[in-house]
Amino acid sequence: MNNRGHNTQERASLRDALFGVPHLSGGRRPGERKGGALTAGSLLDKAILLLLLGAVCLFVLWPMACILLRSLGDGEGGFTLAAYAQVWSRYRENLWNSVFVGVLSALACTVFSTAAAIFIATRRGWVKMACMALLLITMVSPPFVSSLAYIQLYGRRGWITYRLLGISWDPYNCWGVIWMQSISFVPLNTLLLIGILSKLDTGSLQAARDLGARPAAILRDVVLPLMGPGILVSLLLSFVRSLSDYGTPVIIGGRFSTIASEIYLQLVGYSDLEKSSAMNMFLLLPAIAAFFLYRYLMRRSDKLSEGSRSRQGRLELSLSRCGPVGIGIAAVSILFFLMMVLQYGCIFLAGFLKSTKGVYSFTLRNWEELWRLDAATMVRSVVYALIVSLAGTLFAMLFAYYMERRRVPGRSFFDCVATLPYMLPGTCFGIGYILAFNHEPLKLTGTAVIVLANMLFKQLPTATKICSASLTQVPLALERSARDLGGGQLAVLRDVILPSLRPAFLSCFVYNFSSSMTTAGAIIFLINPGKKLAVFKLFDAVYTGDYAVASLIASVIIVIVLAVEGLAYLITWKGGERNVS
Amino acid sequence: MKKKLTALLLVLAMAFTLVACGTGADNGGSNAADNTANNTANNTANNAADDAESEAPELSGTMKVVATSESYVTLFDKFTEETGVTVELLSMSSGEVLSKLRAEGGTPSADLWFGGGIDAFMSAKEDGLLEQVNFDAAADLAAEYKDSENYWFSKGITIVGFLLNNTLMGELNLTAPASWSDLLDESYAGEIIMSNPAVSGTNYAVVNALLQTMGEEEGWNYFDGLNSNIAYYAKRGSDPSNKVISDEYAIGITYIDGTIEALLEDYDVTIVYPEDGIPWVPEGVAVFKNAENVDAAKYFVEWLFSNDKNLQLLAEIDQKTSVKAIKPTMEGIDLSYDTGILMDEDLSLFGSERDAILAQFETLMGDKAVDE
Repeated sequence: MNNRGHNTQERASLRDALFGVPHLSGGRRPGERKGGALTAGSLLDKAILLLLLGAVCLFVLWPMACILLRSLGDGEGGFTLAAYAQVWSRYRENLWNSVFVGVLSALACTVFSTAAAIFIATRRGWVKMACMALLLITMVSPPFVSSLAYIQLYGRRGWITYRLLGISWDPYNCWGVIWMQSISFVPLNTLLLIGILSKLDTGSLQAARDLGARPAAILRDVVLPLMGPGILVSLLLSFVRSLSDYGTPVIIGGRFSTIASEIYLQLVGYSDLEKSSAMNMFLLLPAIAAFFLYRYLMRRSDKLSEGSRSRQGRLELSLSRCGPVGIGIAAVSILFFLMMVLQYGCIFLAGFLKSTKGVYSFTLRNWEELWRLDAATMVRSVVYALIVSLAGTLFAMLFAYYMERRRVPGRSFFDCVATLPYMLPGTCFGIGYILAFNHEPLKLTGTAVIVLANMLFKQLPTATKICSASLTQVPLALERSARDLGGGQLAVLRDVILPSLRPAFLSCFVYNFSSSMTTAGAIIFLINPGKKLAVFKLFDAVYTGDYAVASLIASVIIVIVLAVEGLAYLITWKGGERNVS
Repeated sequence: MKKKLTALLLVLAMAFTLVACGTGADNGGSNAADNTANNTANNTANNAADDAESEAPELSGTMKVVATSESYVTLFDKFTEETGVTVELLSMSSGEVLSKLRAEGGTPSADLWFGGGIDAFMSAKEDGLLEQVNFDAAADLAAEYKDSENYWFSKGITIVGFLLNNTLMGELNLTAPASWSDLLDESYAGEIIMSNPAVSGTNYAVVNALLQTMGEEEGWNYFDGLNSNIAYYAKRGSDPSNKVISDEYAIGITYIDGTIEALLEDYDVTIVYPEDGIPWVPEGVAVFKNAENVDAAKYFVEWLFSNDKNLQLLAEIDQKTSVKAIKPTMEGIDLSYDTGILMDEDLSLFGSERDAILAQFETLMGDKAVDE
């Protein structure tokens, strides 16, 4: 925190004055001294902080501790390191595979995301609208169905690879996994980067242009460095998500297996909780290492983005005039969007296609199957997702604020703990919840609370990162001036931080909502038979091999998510308009 | 703005309390139901013992079921009609059920376990996670398909065969394999797909049955040879058949049941019953120990196996006739195949040898499992 900014010394002392003794500037009575009566505002401020930290301890730290304890158990109440020894001797190779896939996926995904973000930011009119719409659609990634569409298109007998191009290649290996992972992580990262680009300091751009810099130079020397923190977030999110992703390697990994897919195998094949728990701890090694590397780099890059922003506006840059880099960016983006159109088109189409001995025909038969989906399940899914996205987004915004801008004791620790759920395969986080909450006084198994909490905290790390990235663009000066004008901590939070997080609110909400609607791993262990979610119908269809119905359910989920998100967009947009006027 | 924020917080708080209330009420409800179920069960236990075809005891509440598929809903609807017990169904694979059971540490969140490879049921019994269910009609069930101490029963038998993709077989100039030993032919290299036996109960049955039939040494030699023809070992049980119908692989080693037979209509595929023996595995039914509505679940087992009409309904749903083998005295169904074509399997070895066999299989797959 202290080494943020250029003149560290000065800032630190300034902040000490502001943060260290909050009461001086905290209330409306500047004369009030430390130890005096706390104002209601600062009490509430403390209460919110305690609530956040308490929730993280209960719903993240405690289940993680249960997994750790289980990994050390010998099944009879004693402690042993046997599981670790076994994991170390047998799964080192898989760990290497995980890191290998993770690094390549993160790099590829970030290249795609950065290109797509710049491409969209420099476009106007219908192209931009179409790309944004496509991104929102592809943010909804129904489990399994995407991978199945991938096989349909690029499989050994894929429509594209075999039938169109006549290539006979085998996608069931690590390259298939890397490819599939990279493109499926792109939409979220791109939205995040677009958020950053839309608030770019146009002053620097203008200055560069006035100094005679060519567009290519502006892109390289101004735009990309300003996107630095966002690119870092994208790298971290993709790397860790790849580490914990078991679905892709399970479906298209073939003989290639990562730690996450081996953990899945341990859980569904051997039901060996000790070993799978130990493997989880093993998986945390690279994840946590990546997290600290990210924090270190983030702190350094903060310097770049912390300049004052007199003007924020759209990116005025013409890609076609940016030379080879610009053309490259456009080409990569178009390739990506084309693939997305194909993949989601494939999902939508599959619901209406019927294959009879290799001949495809149009059918509405699957719609009849769909009516068997009971409405209660659909409504429940939406309600759950709404609760999780509203509560989760608010939680993430507050949490990001306290972690980024305030001196909270043990800040790094809590920030790291809150990121843990993201680092684990969903199934394991689910098992952790069962271990943690199956006995009084914490008996939550079988309730809706355990499902909601699991979704919220599984998605919290990403949501927090989205908010943090946005928060780095709220100039400290703005916050400071609000405080100097006598605004208390809470007033700053309410009137400065939260309003400036509006774009983050929207991307957070969109992320939370679509993830909740398509949540896969953890929930299968937590859900109560009487309270199913729509995504289960999808599992069932995939399990019985009925891809047409699965695709149809996926399409319905996508449409619902888009409708709700459209509504959310309208509401925040209207709210924004009102605030401006 | 302040008002808005407070309002939002209030709404969220309310949403959470609503959820909490909802679940609280649920728990209260099922606890109350439990008590009544206990009382009535005590009353009816004696009656039920007198007459297997007795009236349904007064059960109530909800019975939570984990099943392999949701297609059993009509069977459970019938149960609800006759007993008043509402049934909630959730589909889960047997491995997932076992993991969940172990994590729950004796507080199972479901009452009845319906379907799934028998090896998981055997492990669960060993861990003390199942409830003993004694009822009169159990004596009519064939001893080889149920637990000797009545901890688990079978609701049917799954058999294993090959599913061939005719188009691919033609394109690749392959002749159809007719037996397990045919699969070793070099021409099939990279075109056979099977599930990891750890995940798939049916493919575990293949390994165990072939080892039992061929003997340890010859058996392992066989799988060593087969391994070099297998493209990869899928991590989900339904993958082999799905990959064959989507033209990805020519030969799948898969369970054969009504759903697979139905594929013949829409896809250009052939089912092969290997002539040197068909491995099989029973699909288990069991009641979870310490379950909330254990009485309803126990009565369901009795209800299912005591009344042939219920078994017929089950056979219709499963599109299988194997219930006849499980309850030879039952009428109204004839076995569609001679049990002679099934391989000789000593089921008792299924549970006890599982860990050792899977460990050896893992090493066998291992030399190719690392990289591609």
